[in-house]
Amino acid sequence: MNPGHPDSSVALGRRMFLGVGAAVAAELLLGACDSKGPKSAERFLRYMERKNEGVERALFRHTAMDAGSPGHRLTGSALPSYFISEKVPVWNESARGVWRLEVAGMVARPLLLTLPELARIPHITDRVNHYCVEGWTAIEAWTGCRLRDIARIAGVSPEARFVDFQSFDSGYHESWDIESALHPQTVIAYGLDGRWLGAAHGAPARLYSPVKLGYKNVKYLTRIVFLPAANGGYWSDRGYEWYAGV
Amino acid sequence: MRDIGNFYVAMTRHPPRHHWVVRVTHWVNAVAIVLMVGSGFRIFNAYPAFARRGETFCCWPWEGQGIPAWLTFGGWLAGARNWHFAMMWVLLLNGCVYLAFVYLHGEWRDLVPRRGDARDAWEMIRFYTFRRADHPRQGKHNALQKLTYFLLPLIALTLILSGLSIWKPVQLAPLTALFGGYVWARYWHFMTTLLLVALSASHVFMVFAVDPYSLRSMTTGGYNEDLSPESRNARPFTNILPRRRPAP
Repeated sequence: MNPGHPDSSVALGRRMFLGVGAAVAAELLLGACDSKGPKSAERFLRYMERKNEGVERALFRHTAMDAGSPGHRLTGSALPSYFISEKVPVWNESARGVWRLEVAGMVARPLLLTLPELARIPHITDRVNHYCVEGWTAIEAWTGCRLRDIARIAGVSPEARFVDFQSFDSGYHESWDIESALHPQTVIAYGLDGRWLGAAHGAPARLYSPVKLGYKNVKYLTRIVFLPAANGGYWSDRGYEWYAGV
Repeated sequence: MRDIGNFYVAMTRHPPRHHWVVRVTHWVNAVAIVLMVGSGFRIFNAYPAFARRGETFCCWPWEGQGIPAWLTFGGWLAGARNWHFAMMWVLLLNGCVYLAFVYLHGEWRDLVPRRGDARDAWEMIRFYTFRRADHPRQGKHNALQKLTYFLLPLIALTLILSGLSIWKPVQLAPLTALFGGYVWARYWHFMTTLLLVALSASHVFMVFAVDPYSLRSMTTGGYNEDLSPESRNARPFTNILPRRRPAP
């Protein structure tokens, strides 16, 4: 560099600037390791989640069906079981009376179904994948009645846009968009792999659908409420994506 | 004094080695890829294996072994997912701007493989392994660089398609089936990421070991042909400084 050149100080300034800039960038990258990222990015992430929900809704079709890969055994007992409570939630009949599934909200005929009543509604058995948010999958055969059939029996108002699924597992619940809830593979399941649903997987009845990630499929169901607006959810309120479509 | 002045003018008046669109998209790309790979590794760590539950997986020897936390970004699974699904659009948009520019502006001519590139790449390897004394003749990039830069859009396409396959295995089931199902789509998404990481790491290594002057050309755009690796006959860590020019 020519020290006599009138621009040399400017050039030096620019080099300094670039050097400091590179140092700051390196520091930011190092600081980013294993971090959640800057707090100020929270708004950007929320905005992108809303935009992604639009994309996911646009991609959603009732004709898109899942099928557990042929040539593979059912996952059976290797299916992990998750619940929020400290112990496996079991419906205590002597304290709470007979278990009933309540269908409420924007419906013409609110329902209160015992398990035998639920089982009398036409049912399907569907061999499908389970898509967990963690990245693993499993293949299970679920037996239950389609939610769209229950919705028809209850006479759901056309104004209902969301459905909240509530459980007796320490207040666990998740709300869904009604399109996913009425998908033909969305069932209120009481059978798993040809047996009655066990306590570890949500007995007496649970929500199951391959069109949503596992955490949206509420176990230990007690209430299904048709709503005009979304009602969040246990994991959605803790930062997980609310729509979570597959 | 006059010579130095002319040299300075030659350096500054020279058209930039990389157009500003290329420079901006390059650095946006760098940040976005770091965040995508970091958050992807954090997502992978929630289940650092490929096997379906109750099965085994043939083709990954480190089933169950997570990525070191310092290589991850997002802090926890939901955080990493939110970053991953946000930055993917930034990366996609940035990639489209870059490809559209390179196509419309003619820069693609420096990047598409041509007859003889395979031989030139072999000559570059011979040069780097000291089996050839002089740096092979090259255009804007050497044959190994060209190959890498040409490969990157193909890697990006594989990442996008395999990523869509594991994001929407039900709604986009035919696409997922193309990769051999969800388990394999997830595997190819991960393996392609490892390839991208390997190429990016070599890229950064070569910048510092062979052509640190390219840092300037990728920020301000300035470059001096006398400092090119070909002019310096530069191998990793050799001939970093410019060659002495013979007196006229």
